[in-house]
Amino acid sequence: MLSAMPRRYELLPVVLAVVALGGCERRQLCNAPDCGTLVDAAIGEPGTLLPASTEEITARDVEEQLFLKLADVGMSMNTIGDEDFQPLLAQKWEWDGPLTLVFHIDPRARWHDGQPVTAVDVAFTYDAYSDSTVASPYRAQLKRLASVTARDSLTAVFRFRERYPEMFYDAVYHMRVLPAHLLRSVPREQWKTAAFGRQPVGDGPYRFVSWQAGQAIELRSDTTFFLGRPGIRRLIWRFTPDLGVAVTQLVADQVDVREQLVTPTMIDRVRTAPQVKLYPFAGNTYTCLAFNLRANGDTSKANPIFGDRELRRALTMAVDRASLVKSTLGDIGKVPPGPMSSLLWIWDPEIRQLPYDTAQAARILNARGWRDHDGDGVRDRDGQPLAFRILVPSTSVLRRQYAQLLQEQYRVIGVHVEIDALDPGALQQRISSGRFDSAILSRSNDPSPSSGITQTWTRGGIGGSNYTRYSSPEFDRLVDRAIAAASRDQARQLWRAAMETINADAPAIFLYSLDNVAGIHRRVADVQIRPDSWAALLRTWRIPPDQQIDRDRVER
Amino acid sequence: MTAWLLRRLAASVAIIFAVVTFVFILIHLAPGDPCIVGTGEGVPDPAVCRSLIRQFALDQPVLVQYWRYLVELAHGNLGYSFALHRPVWDALVDTMPFTLQLAGAALLIDFGLGLALGIYQAWRLNRLPDVVLGNVTLFVYSLPTFWLGLILLLLFGEKLRLFPVGGASDPVLCPLVDSFYCLADRIWHMVLPAVTLGLVGAAGTARFQRAAMLEVAQQDFVRTARAKGLPERRVVLHHQLRNALLSVITRFGLTLPFLLTGAVLVETIFAWPGMGRLTVDAILRRDYAIVTAAALIASSLVVAGSLIADLLLGFADPRIRVHEDAVVDIVTA
Repeated sequence: MLSAMPRRYELLPVVLAVVALGGCERRQLCNAPDCGTLVDAAIGEPGTLLPASTEEITARDVEEQLFLKLADVGMSMNTIGDEDFQPLLAQKWEWDGPLTLVFHIDPRARWHDGQPVTAVDVAFTYDAYSDSTVASPYRAQLKRLASVTARDSLTAVFRFRERYPEMFYDAVYHMRVLPAHLLRSVPREQWKTAAFGRQPVGDGPYRFVSWQAGQAIELRSDTTFFLGRPGIRRLIWRFTPDLGVAVTQLVADQVDVREQLVTPTMIDRVRTAPQVKLYPFAGNTYTCLAFNLRANGDTSKANPIFGDRELRRALTMAVDRASLVKSTLGDIGKVPPGPMSSLLWIWDPEIRQLPYDTAQAARILNARGWRDHDGDGVRDRDGQPLAFRILVPSTSVLRRQYAQLLQEQYRVIGVHVEIDALDPGALQQRISSGRFDSAILSRSNDPSPSSGITQTWTRGGIGGSNYTRYSSPEFDRLVDRAIAAASRDQARQLWRAAMETINADAPAIFLYSLDNVAGIHRRVADVQIRPDSWAALLRTWRIPPDQQIDRDRVER
Repeated sequence: MTAWLLRRLAASVAIIFAVVTFVFILIHLAPGDPCIVGTGEGVPDPAVCRSLIRQFALDQPVLVQYWRYLVELAHGNLGYSFALHRPVWDALVDTMPFTLQLAGAALLIDFGLGLALGIYQAWRLNRLPDVVLGNVTLFVYSLPTFWLGLILLLLFGEKLRLFPVGGASDPVLCPLVDSFYCLADRIWHMVLPAVTLGLVGAAGTARFQRAAMLEVAQQDFVRTARAKGLPERRVVLHHQLRNALLSVITRFGLTLPFLLTGAVLVETIFAWPGMGRLTVDAILRRDYAIVTAAALIASSLVVAGSLIADLLLGFADPRIRVHEDAVVDIVTA
């Protein structure tokens, strides 16, 4: 018995090899022109794939392939009027008076279960998105729509409450059309947890195949898609816990796409992988040092430091933003000319900003009575030192680094800064409740300046995401006029004036706007990236037959 | 024995209850709004947030929420995940097998490799292999698990490309081929995380086992076995080892908690879709139901492991017996 044991162990590797080869032998190879598998390293796993109920990034990217909009914004990112929009589910559209927009659904459009897409689906979708029970994150963006009805099976009619330049954008950008015949019977309060959200049936270029919890979501091209067969047959979103793991998988050639590399360190790592090509594109985030204009913990009183406009201007002039960007972000960062990312069409480097001028900053501080009376290196007034704290999320290496650099720049002009690195949840609670001096915050924009800037910097956003509690009637008036401007040129002038107003008031220091860099496998051809959504044009990407590798040819 | 077992089970339930209560209150006291945190840094519509918080009854006082949780728990309902939009039980059923697989593989490495090294060192006492292995195991034992994981990942995953750098299976091939291939693929994916989790423990087990072997080597029965002229291999494996294993069983019971807590880090580093990663994500998103359920499962497993170790010790060592009226724990008896 004992002498037989070693022989059995010797067989173990053989058994494992046979098991592995047995699996391999059953594989067939794909030979069609659209063969190809694209694996994306996604950070985090979505909760649901029901578009009305989620705004998670990975969910949005997958939904982009599953569910169509009526039309979508073009590469110009112009959100005014309708001339730059590309038709998708709507074959065409026309204006029926100043407040009525009529869409004609493409009669070839089908849900993946074979049912035709109709105007009833469009009306149902609007009803769901605007229903408070569904609690869609896009509900607020639809408030200027009065109704959506179905005139006949292929004609959807949108009626607006008022006329404004971004009517078309609001009608098409926020909603993905949903299948009424599959969702009508699902109680609205259960939409977030509906089974449909984990096994969706869409009308887009890709069909849902599987969702392995914690691991991956797989889609397969719809070969009958009415706008043309997608160029790549399989799409897989592989879930990773963080950017480091995602980048490691890209470098090790185990995934094909990492759409945002975020930091120069990660970009340098990816540069070492010969199979990966880098694609820079405009980013949709900006980061600022936001000052709390009300007293820390008591919003009824002005902040003793940041309530003073001149002092805020001095603190802004004391920061060399250009050199900070250069030293920390290199080519992928820019100093934003206001609260905006480079995605927005109102981005204009000529917008007037406060200069970097430490001498002028010191003069202002002296004039306001902030001097170093006791010789300890920190300015003071009436016995109170000029000191404040900066909150940063402990999970962001970049923002922690920025806080340290700001601390040093402020030390030079006699301002004492302490840094508190907090868990994102704790940080969010502190800034929401007004219990902070200042915080380094990142904000993201959709392609329209109207929604993000309004929510974060106007009086209407106080109690919401205007954490600084900045309140300027002049700024609000300019923003309102810019949103209602008749032409793009006029809107641009008004936005510029609004930006110059907020820059002069300095409720925050707009530190950097990150450009995105995507790492994509070199074998992928015809890569087009739309800045607001890298996956929006994925159906046009392809993998030429002579470039295909093993994972492209594997077939069921 | 039955009475002892019942008492141990009752004590186990009390421990689990205490852990769940502690975690439930702690996570609810932690700053952060699950609505805001759960949706990233963007701020959702306050009306949307209010609606979600009402829907999940998060606007109730903590004690009310706790009572409702206990009532639901008594009915076998672990609640709904705020962030995952699905029943907690479904999320645990998806992730628990991965953690158990990883912990099982790590346990094999820990005790398989650790015992072998410890025995070999004791056999080659004070010779070159013992000295070298003694230093190596001390070095490995002092390594932080997360650091070891990162180094293995970079070396064997990214640089040498011998193993996958994350995940539990190949998402390209596995869905298309039969389960035999996927089994081999799963083992291949498990190598680095299991080695990371098991190697440090193996170094500890080796040192522990070597010491136990040396202690037993001083006993009269070992001297007698040698005096009878038994071969050295038989003395070591049959007389010395069997008695030295008793202390290892105790170590087994103590190792389980470390494997489960260690899995939290290792699963994050290797993108292993287990309970550890689920729990970390849930803590960051203030997903109360998942965090509390994970604590419930983890404490149950730890208590069960400890109980099994005690029972094994009782069976393995005939000198240890528990009387009906004995309150004393077997391990300490």
